[in-house]
Amino acid sequence: MFSTGSKYFFGISFLGAISFAIYMFLIGESAIGATALLGLVVATGLLTALTLTTRDGAKDEDGVAASTAAPTGSIWPLIAAVGATLLLVGTITSPVVTLFGIVALLAALIEWTVLSWSERASSDVSYNASLRKRLLNPIEFPVLAAVGLGVVIFSFSRITLAVNKSVGATAFIVLGSLVLASGVLFSIRPNLKRGLVTAICVIGAVGIVAAGIAGAGAGVREELVLAQEEGHYVHQECGAEKSEYFDKLPLGGVSASASVAAHIDLVDGKLIATVQGIAGEQQSITVPRSNPTNIVFRNKSDGEYRLVANLGSKMVTDGVKEDVVQCTQLIPQGSDQMLTLNIPKPAVAGKPFTLTVPGLAGQSIEVIVP
Amino acid sequence: MRRRVIGAVSGIATTMFLAGCATNAPQDTWKPKGPNAKIIDNLQKPVFAVAGIIGVIVTAVVITAVIKFRDKGQPIPHQSHGNPALEITLTIIPALILTVVGVFTFRTVFDLAKTSDTEMIINVTGQQWWWEYDYPVQNEYGITQPIITSGQLVIPAGTKVLLRETSRDVIHSYWIPALNGKRDAVPGRVHLNRIEADKPGIYAGQCTEFCGLSHANMRMEAIALSKADFAKWVANQLKPYTSPAENTLAKEGEAVFMNQCTRCHQVNGMKRADGTPVIAAPDENIVSGAAPNLSHLMSRNTFAGATFDLLNKTCRKEVWGADSESFGAKYLSGVSEDCLNQTDLRGWLRNAPGMKPMYSNPALLASTGGKYRGMPNLGLTESDIEKLVAYLLTLK
Repeated sequence: MFSTGSKYFFGISFLGAISFAIYMFLIGESAIGATALLGLVVATGLLTALTLTTRDGAKDEDGVAASTAAPTGSIWPLIAAVGATLLLVGTITSPVVTLFGIVALLAALIEWTVLSWSERASSDVSYNASLRKRLLNPIEFPVLAAVGLGVVIFSFSRITLAVNKSVGATAFIVLGSLVLASGVLFSIRPNLKRGLVTAICVIGAVGIVAAGIAGAGAGVREELVLAQEEGHYVHQECGAEKSEYFDKLPLGGVSASASVAAHIDLVDGKLIATVQGIAGEQQSITVPRSNPTNIVFRNKSDGEYRLVANLGSKMVTDGVKEDVVQCTQLIPQGSDQMLTLNIPKPAVAGKPFTLTVPGLAGQSIEVIVP
Repeated sequence: MRRRVIGAVSGIATTMFLAGCATNAPQDTWKPKGPNAKIIDNLQKPVFAVAGIIGVIVTAVVITAVIKFRDKGQPIPHQSHGNPALEITLTIIPALILTVVGVFTFRTVFDLAKTSDTEMIINVTGQQWWWEYDYPVQNEYGITQPIITSGQLVIPAGTKVLLRETSRDVIHSYWIPALNGKRDAVPGRVHLNRIEADKPGIYAGQCTEFCGLSHANMRMEAIALSKADFAKWVANQLKPYTSPAENTLAKEGEAVFMNQCTRCHQVNGMKRADGTPVIAAPDENIVSGAAPNLSHLMSRNTFAGATFDLLNKTCRKEVWGADSESFGAKYLSGVSEDCLNQTDLRGWLRNAPGMKPMYSNPALLASTGGKYRGMPNLGLTESDIEKLVAYLLTLK
């Protein structure tokens, strides 16, 4: 009754239907997963019908006799068991373990299904093997390459975080040169012994992974630990004075050129706002509440200045309030920097939000939050 | 079998053709009611005509070829490859047609992007699944303090209004077909969209970028008023808050509102018994960080993202059916107790997610840190609903 091809699609469709039922029972109202699984069932159901109707595209043939040989040994049942175990262990330990379990289960499911189907596709064992390769190699090779590359990149990142910056740069240059040299060697000497090529690749990969493990074991270099402890990356210093850390490399910031809510210009010591679509200079800007709003500060005055957004205060502990302040870095004349405001509530009456420039008295732009 | 297929195709074609004859179609893209929509209309009609003629010719040729040269058992005809003259001609003709269409399209795009002669600014913020409008201070229109409203965009007729659009959560798209084309509202960006209505009236629209569960219920209405009526609307929006009189049902409703609704909804000017202002905290409860500001709610005709009418059917018909002369007065009269759509408002207060699909089941909010998308079922008693309706009616 079933043709060879239709068995495959029917299997997926059936499995999809069971997954859909389990998914709906366990997760319920998630529309995305249900739609995806139902889509899989419908699509493979249609393909089943198509392959059945056309008898796998054979016009006047009765189909190929299936193999009667016993299934060969496979590692995929073992991987499926490991995946299922990880999935269960992950539910009480870590989502990462669950993720590994899901990946292992999915891989085993696909590989095992295709392997089982291909082994019975025809009575010709070599043809069956080629069928399996034709279906799975286009998936296996890119996935394995991506995983291998990911491991190398991650390992190398551990090395660069552990060693001195200049040593890291040198290591990167050396490694890149070695990879390039190996590539050149392989291309100009295509008759190199397979064992030699394998040995070079394995030694290189193992070396990087081992160095990465060593780097991860050593931890990140001291200056990064220190910077993290002192909060250089989170604490903005918004005073008039230049900060050693926060104001480092101010021209490295990226600012938008279009679709910003307003441009705030410091021209000859005077602070003015220009709002897209509103003619003339403004002394106030309107910002929707609870919405990340981008403004660009442009310093057109002689000297280094920063723009500071004074956004009221917030309660940090019972009875203790802290000013909410955001600012750009100190930027030199002729440069600009973007500031993203996200103000959840309107200002309390009598205490408007403002944009000011430290060290510049009497200059202020009001920020209105309706 | 053949007759059935022909019958089915004819039936579908006739239905589609007749659908184009609907008279009550407020979102008809072929009926521009303002200069910007007319600019688009002046482009789309000739382009549609050209495309239609080409479509008819191509369809006729294909059908003729299919019927005339169908398989009747004849031998396979001579196979020829390459006819440079014909191929060049068939490339040049479409290229010329597209070039002409392209020139006029670019001109239209630039005409619509013009903002230098803007007369009024309104900030438009989209979120799941409603639109918020805030009017920055514009003294020439009497807007001496920012005005904030939702659901209905009120504009003066004959005025070039610039909408500055953005979004608080996902991408939405603002489209009132009678006034202009659609423009996406994208988080973190401000997109400009200019509208202008020739005459006072209501112009309907709908979000046109799929934005989640209730995308189909994210509607909008632009209300164009004469300049005099618009000034009255502004004056009303700027009126200070008045607390209901003591010992009334509305006063009890105010207390319920303060306890339940101000977690998300702001009513400007509302104060607690100790005189401190009531500031809503939607940022702590809702994914988008905002809920509609309900100040002067009953000056609007809709609620819940313009999904439901605040006016009952009779009163709504009077407003929608009014001519441009009398429309302003009817709209400005707002929603009285007699005209209130009690059924929908009470239903909404009783179980909002039951009326408009929203992600507001408390058991399913793990991925959003307990924050809702839309209004949850607050479990209000019938007594609370009674009080709230009485209170909301005072928000004129």
